[in-house]
Amino acid sequence: MTTFKIGRRRADGSTPLPGGAARRTFRFQQRLAPYLFVSPFLILFAVFGLYPLVKSILLSLYVTNGPRDHVFVGLSNYRFLFSDPDFGVAVRNTAVYTFWTVFLQLPLALGLAILLSQKWLKGRNWFRLAFFSPQLVGQVFVGVIFMVLYVPQYGLVNHAIHAVHAGFPLDTKWLGDARLVMPALVLASLWMYVGFNMIYFLAALQAVDRQLYEAAMVDGANGWQQFLAVTLPGIKPVAVYVLVMATIGSLQLFELPYTMLQQSAGPDKSGLTIVMYLYQNGYITGDLGYASAVGWTLALGILIVSLIQMRVTGVWKGASA
Amino acid sequence: MSRFPFGSAALALLVVALLSGLWLAEDPVGGRKATLTLWVFSKEHYENYQNVLPAFLAKHPGVTVDVQLVSNNGLAARLQAAMVAGVDVPDMCEIEITNAGTFFRGPLKEVGFLDLTDRIHRSGLWDQLVRARFAPYTKQGRIFGLPHDVHPVALAYNREAFERLGIQPDRIRTWDDFIAVGRRVTRTTGANPRYLIELSDTSEGQLELLLFQRGGGFFDANGHCTLDNEKAVETLAWYVPLVAGSRRIGNDLGGGQVLTQAVEQGYLLSLITPDWRSRTYENDIAHMSGKMALMPLPAVRQGGRRTSTWGGTMMGITKRCAHPDLAWELAMQLYYSREKLADRYQKSNILPPKRDLWNDPAIQAPKAYWSGQRLGRIYSTLAPHVLPQYASPFLELAKNKLSEALVACVQQYNASGDAGFKAFCRRRLKQSAEEVRRQMARNPY
Repeated sequence: MTTFKIGRRRADGSTPLPGGAARRTFRFQQRLAPYLFVSPFLILFAVFGLYPLVKSILLSLYVTNGPRDHVFVGLSNYRFLFSDPDFGVAVRNTAVYTFWTVFLQLPLALGLAILLSQKWLKGRNWFRLAFFSPQLVGQVFVGVIFMVLYVPQYGLVNHAIHAVHAGFPLDTKWLGDARLVMPALVLASLWMYVGFNMIYFLAALQAVDRQLYEAAMVDGANGWQQFLAVTLPGIKPVAVYVLVMATIGSLQLFELPYTMLQQSAGPDKSGLTIVMYLYQNGYITGDLGYASAVGWTLALGILIVSLIQMRVTGVWKGASA
Repeated sequence: MSRFPFGSAALALLVVALLSGLWLAEDPVGGRKATLTLWVFSKEHYENYQNVLPAFLAKHPGVTVDVQLVSNNGLAARLQAAMVAGVDVPDMCEIEITNAGTFFRGPLKEVGFLDLTDRIHRSGLWDQLVRARFAPYTKQGRIFGLPHDVHPVALAYNREAFERLGIQPDRIRTWDDFIAVGRRVTRTTGANPRYLIELSDTSEGQLELLLFQRGGGFFDANGHCTLDNEKAVETLAWYVPLVAGSRRIGNDLGGGQVLTQAVEQGYLLSLITPDWRSRTYENDIAHMSGKMALMPLPAVRQGGRRTSTWGGTMMGITKRCAHPDLAWELAMQLYYSREKLADRYQKSNILPPKRDLWNDPAIQAPKAYWSGQRLGRIYSTLAPHVLPQYASPFLELAKNKLSEALVACVQQYNASGDAGFKAFCRRRLKQSAEEVRRQMARNPY
């Protein structure tokens, strides 16, 4: 019987070389061990990640009534998708939301981070917690809060605007007027995500070498020039990461409009996003095949947008260099 | 232990994993223990059934019933997924009327509920219930659900405000009468705006039931989309001026506490109200007790139908139910028996669809909240006139498309008024209907 003798020392302190069967066992274990260690992840990923991915690609080629009952239609789902005006509206809404959230969110988050990194500001930690806290409650909670804030006639938002501008109608329907739904969504998402992204920028700002600022000051650079020449390059990797993640998150928007618009797409589909369109087709109409086609189209879109962002910001080139 | 190559900690983890796996295999989580499991989405139904169950259980010693409250959206999505995947589903389930059609999407043999048609005819329910209420739960002539309700619609109004403004409900017979009053009392501007009726300018809710009142709907009995027929065009062209332009008489602020304030403060003077919603007011607008009253909906034409319908629920028995006879008996007890009927009615105001129950003293009793009116009598008088609605997996889509058409028509009316408006409504509804038909054409079943 082979025993596990590796490393057992002789009386003189030397370690014997493993021999025969022991050596074979040792080599087998050495070869096997890495696979055994990664196997839990691989098995879970294969079952819950890879299989659904492959299955959903296949599913997107069928019209389905659940997984058991399906009819092969080839690329017809994709053809229908690109000719469906509702999908066009969903893409447009999602793009508009993404544009406004990203291009308002990031400068605001960076501005807040710079402000809250100033040593003269008292209670900085409290402010950081306060700005970050909306992130702790999740999109559904934020959606419910803003739904109440936007209530016509009795809501806080309308009363606040009315107090400043008496001509503003109290019964303005933020979530019932197709022109106001998107601004209402963007505002709610800013409240939720500006503080979250601020934390990334705060961390990045702390990592910028202080000596560079001192050198810039010696060279006569003013505050704005220091920001452009020292701060921005210093936080660039984090800024690109935040940009890409914020874009991906915005393209996947679902819970916020779903909650605020009470499970609908809003007036004139003004709150219909791509993921909501996917959900409606997959779980309301019950066509999982078509929903899979929407899902893969979205995934491909996100990949392309992310690659473009990385290319434009130079991160991709930097990584390959 | 020393033979296990990766140490005692890894061995311990492996043993725990194996033992817990074996335990789960032996006693799966969520395994059903009760004889019958029932999913419901309404808290009121859930509470009512808890009251009725003891009598049923007393008749069936050894039988257990597990009633589970699940959110409406969660219930529909989970049940649909479970049915099509062929995994464990409850024995019985309540489905909201809008969701019912999605369960009938596939071929007839793939519907996850038992075909109850023969049982319904054998038991006499076909003749005893308001027959129109079977329609939403029917596919190709086969009935898969028992109707829980009729949900006839009346008009609830602020009696005190009506009296103050000199509005006499008895003299309002038609919508023309009602609109004339509305043009007189509605104030759309100023510090205290006031609207005669709650009507939405963005969602199809009230428009839909006014379409039903005229005999229209989203689909016909054969499942064809009827969203752009002449009834729908007429209804839309008539409805939009009620919620748009300077002479509007209707507005909508939303539900919940906003609605409470809108009614209490006189922003809204009347609301289209099915039986279930009357109970919502009693709970949520309690301050208006004794100040509210009910009248039939105004008719489209003199002597015409003075009601419509809003909402509904069915009870289905799933094909995986091991005790269908027992499940049927339970459904009869919960829906159509006189057991705790008074209690059930008082907690919900919902009129059962079985006509012989309507003479129950509890249903006929006056209600203090409604200025002493006999609520059940009003609704039971209207109930036989409710028209059928037809199910479709594309109902939700059709509703969305009607909403889109409404919004477009409201914008058009605000911009251009009456000029060419009916033709615009026709074009816009046709566009919406075509979009529904395109989706339907993809369904090979």
